[in-house]
Amino acid sequence: MTPVNGTQPVLEDLNVIVAGQGGDGSLTVVTLLAELMRDYGFNVYTERDVLSRIRGGHTAATVRAFSGDRYCIGSNIDLLVALDDEAIEKNTRHLDGNSIVIFDESGGKLTNGSLPKGIKLYSAPFNRIAMRTMRRELYRNSIAFGVVSRLIGLEDEALKKIFKKRFARLGTTVLDYNLEALDLGFGIADEFGLTNGAGLYKIKKKKAANKLLITGNESVALGFIVAGGRFYAGYPITPSSEILESLQKWLPMFGGVARQTEDELSGINMAMGAALTGARVMVGTSGPGFSLMQEGIGHAGSAEIPIVIVDCQRAGPSTGMPTKPEQSDINLMIFGGHGDFPRIVLAPGHPEDCFYLAAEATNLAFKYQCPVYISMDQGLSQNIATVDPFDLEKIEVDEGYQLDAEDLKKLDVYKRYAHTENDISPFAKPGTPGGFSLVTGNEHDEWGLVSTDPDNRVQMMKKRMNKIEHAKEHLPEARHFGNGDEKIGFIGIGMTYGVILEAMEQLEAYGVDTQFLQLRTIWPVLDEVNEFINRCDKVYVVEYNAVGQLAHLLMHQGADSGKIIKIIKYDGIPFRPREIYNRVMEENKSNNAGKKKTKKKRANSK
Amino acid sequence: MTKTFSPARPIWCAGCGDFAVQGVLEKSLDSLNIPREQLMFLAGIGCSGTIQNNIKCYGYHALHGRVLPTAIGVKLANPNLTVVAAGGDGDGYAIGAGHLVHTFRSNPSLTYIVMNNSNYGLTKGQPSPTSPLGYKSNAEMDMDAILLGLSLPSTTFLARGFSGHPEQLGQLLVAALKHAEEGKGFAFIEVLSPCVTYYDTHREWASRVHNVDEDPDYNCTDRGNAFSKSLEILNNHKIPIGLLYHGEHVSLESLSLKEDCIPPALQDLNSPDSVENCKKIIQSFMG
Repeated sequence: MTPVNGTQPVLEDLNVIVAGQGGDGSLTVVTLLAELMRDYGFNVYTERDVLSRIRGGHTAATVRAFSGDRYCIGSNIDLLVALDDEAIEKNTRHLDGNSIVIFDESGGKLTNGSLPKGIKLYSAPFNRIAMRTMRRELYRNSIAFGVVSRLIGLEDEALKKIFKKRFARLGTTVLDYNLEALDLGFGIADEFGLTNGAGLYKIKKKKAANKLLITGNESVALGFIVAGGRFYAGYPITPSSEILESLQKWLPMFGGVARQTEDELSGINMAMGAALTGARVMVGTSGPGFSLMQEGIGHAGSAEIPIVIVDCQRAGPSTGMPTKPEQSDINLMIFGGHGDFPRIVLAPGHPEDCFYLAAEATNLAFKYQCPVYISMDQGLSQNIATVDPFDLEKIEVDEGYQLDAEDLKKLDVYKRYAHTENDISPFAKPGTPGGFSLVTGNEHDEWGLVSTDPDNRVQMMKKRMNKIEHAKEHLPEARHFGNGDEKIGFIGIGMTYGVILEAMEQLEAYGVDTQFLQLRTIWPVLDEVNEFINRCDKVYVVEYNAVGQLAHLLMHQGADSGKIIKIIKYDGIPFRPREIYNRVMEENKSNNAGKKKTKKKRANSK
Repeated sequence: MTKTFSPARPIWCAGCGDFAVQGVLEKSLDSLNIPREQLMFLAGIGCSGTIQNNIKCYGYHALHGRVLPTAIGVKLANPNLTVVAAGGDGDGYAIGAGHLVHTFRSNPSLTYIVMNNSNYGLTKGQPSPTSPLGYKSNAEMDMDAILLGLSLPSTTFLARGFSGHPEQLGQLLVAALKHAEEGKGFAFIEVLSPCVTYYDTHREWASRVHNVDEDPDYNCTDRGNAFSKSLEILNNHKIPIGLLYHGEHVSLESLSLKEDCIPPALQDLNSPDSVENCKKIIQSFMG
C-alpha cells in the first residue's frame, strides 16, 4: 500500500481483516464491504475465523477484493481493523511494512512496539464515541466503517446506498441510527485528512459486474432445487445450517419441504421416506451428525434409495473444532458404513462448482438409485465469493428409470429389484396402480422379499456394486490447470482450489512450472488421476487433515506412491498461497528456480 | 394384469398375536375402500417388522427404530398416500423412543401400530421397555406409551387394542385409519399382542384388560380425565384398552405444505413457474 499523500495506485488486490470479540460485528462489516466491493465491479472472497459461541472470544473476518479471479485470502493483510488489543496481537503476523491498521483505542492507546515497523496507524476511540453519542456499542461498527471506506477510497454515497439496502428491512430507526453513525465515521476520517475520494486507491467503478455474491452452502441448495430437489431434512449443525435455512426459505416456493428434524437419525430416514415416494431428496450435515447418519446411508445403498448427502466438513474427531475447516471425512464418505454398498462422492471447489455439482448429484442419485455425496468443507460452505450467474439452461432433470401406470400395463412382470443390463432397476412411485413392491435393506430377491440364498446374494451384491462401474464414464471430470507437461503437479479438492491456483502463479513467476488437477469426483477414483500422476515427476496432494486421507486414497487406488508428497494442515486455519509456495520452493531449488522471471507478468504475491 | 410380488407367508409362531393384527388391518383397509396401491406400509425391525411383506401394498422395511421418521418423510412428500407404520415395542419404545416423542409433537396424519409383546421376540426373549420390573432380571420400570402420549398436548388419537379382542381392535383400527385419512393427525394404536414362545401373556392380559369404551366414567375427549382414569386403572393392576384419547391439533403436513399444492413427489420439475422462481432466487444474489 502506498501512503495517503503519495500517488494513488489503482486498486487491484486488497485484503482487509476485521477482528474483535465475538458479537462485535466483524462479520457484518466484512459482508457489507464485500457487497460494496462487488457493486464496484471487483471480485470478492471472504473468510471467517470464529468460535463456536455467540459472544466473546477472538473473531475475525477477512475480505479480499481483486480484479482477477481469486478463491482464497491473500498471504498478507493490507488493512487490519482491530476492535481491541487482542485483534492486534493475533493478527500482526499477517502484516507487513505496507499494511495499515485502524485501531479502536477505547480500551487504551497502543503501546510502542505492538506493531511492526513502518505500519501506518489510524487510532480513534470508536466504541467510546458510539457510547457517548449513540448510547449503543453496536454502532461502533458503522462508525469504523466510515473510516475504513474513506481509507480505501470508496465514495460516501455508495456506502449510504449499501446501508439503505442492508438495514432497510430492520426498520427506519435502525437505518437512521446506522447512517448517523456512518456520518460520525466520516467526521473522524476528515480529521485524519481522509476526505471523500482521497483514499489510498484510485478506484474506478467498473461496468455492472453482474456477479453473484454467494456461499457454497447457498449454491448447493440452489443447484439441488434446479435439478428437481423437493425435500430436505437436516438438524442444525455448523457449518451446514445455512443449507437448511436457505431451503426452508426457498423450497416452499416450489411446493417442496425442508424439515428440521429431532436428530440426524431422523433426518436421514425422513429423507429416505420422501425418496420412496419419488421425490428428490437431500440431507446436509457435518462431522458428528454425519457419523450418526452412517447406518441410514448404508441402508440407502442396500435398498437402492436415491439420496444426496452434503457433508460440510469441519475439524474432527468428536465435536472437534466446529467452526474450523477440515477435509477429514474423506475416509468416512468413501469407506464408511457397515457392509459393502455403492456410492458416489463429488467434490466441488468453489460456489459455482457447488451449484452445478449439486444439480449433478441430484440427477446421479436418481439415475443410479444410490447415495451420492457432496464433499464440502467449512471454507467452501460458508465463505462468500463472487461467481458468474448460474446458467439454468445447463441443467436438465434426469428422469431415471421410472415407470408410470401406462408403462406398467405393458409389462408382464414388475420387479422393483429386477436385474437389467445396466443393473439399474425400474421404479414406480407408490400410488401407481400395478406397481406393488417391497423395499428393504435386508438382502432381498428381485421382488424385494428377504432372501439369504447364496446365489441371489452374490447376484444382488454384484448388481448394486456394478452400478458404480456403469456410472464412471458419466461422472464429473476433474479440471486441469497448466499445459500438461509440467513435472510438478498438485492435486486438491474443495477449498484448496483457490490457494493452489495462486501458489502456482507465484511459483511460475519464480521459474517453477506446475500443473494442477482439481478433482471433482473422488469416488470412484477415475482414470484421470493416474494419467495425471504418471505425467508428473512428483505430485503434491494438498489437503486439510492429519494423515493425508486423499493422498492415501489415491495410493490405494494405484497411484505411484513414490511420486506423492503430502501437504497437510489441520490447525483450523486455511492455507495461504505463500505457505504452499514456500514448501514447493524449498523442495525444488534448481538453477532456474528461485529467480524472478522478468518477462512474465509477476504473479500476485499476496 | 402385471404380475407383482406375491405376499409372503407370515414368519410368526402359531398363536402369535400379530396374526390378528394383520387380519384385522386388512379388513379395516377394505372396509374403508382404501385402494391398495395408495397404501404405503412401513414396518420396523422385529417379528412385527415383517407384516408389510404379507399383504399387497407398497411396502418398506425401515431401519430398527426409524419407522416413524421414514413414514413422516413419505407423508410430507406425498400426503395423498395412506401411510401406515408398524413395529414392535422394542422398535418403537427403546431404540426409536425419541422419534415417538417427536411424532406425538408434530402430529402427522399417519397411523402407527405398535405390536406390543413386552419382550424382544426375534432375538429370543430379552426384556423390552414394556417388560415388567424383574422379568428376566429386568432392572427397569415398564413404560406406558399412552401416558407418554397423553402428556404431550399435541396428540390427537391414542388407542390400545388387544389381539384377543379382534372385534374391538377392528373398530379401533378403522377409527385410527379414518383419523389419518381425514388429515386429523397422528393415529397411535398399541396392540397387546402376546408372544407365545418367549413371554406368553395371553391369559394374563385377557384377565387384566379394562375396556374404557364401555366405561361411563372415562371421557376420551378430556385429556385430564383420560390421564387420571388411565392411571387409576393401571394402579389397580389393570390395562386400559379402547379409544383412550381423541382430540384436535393441526397436522404436520397442513403446516408444512401449502393447501391444494401438488405433492413434492408428483410435481412437474420442469414447470415454467419453477424456472421463474429459480431465476428470482439467483437475482437476489446479484447487486
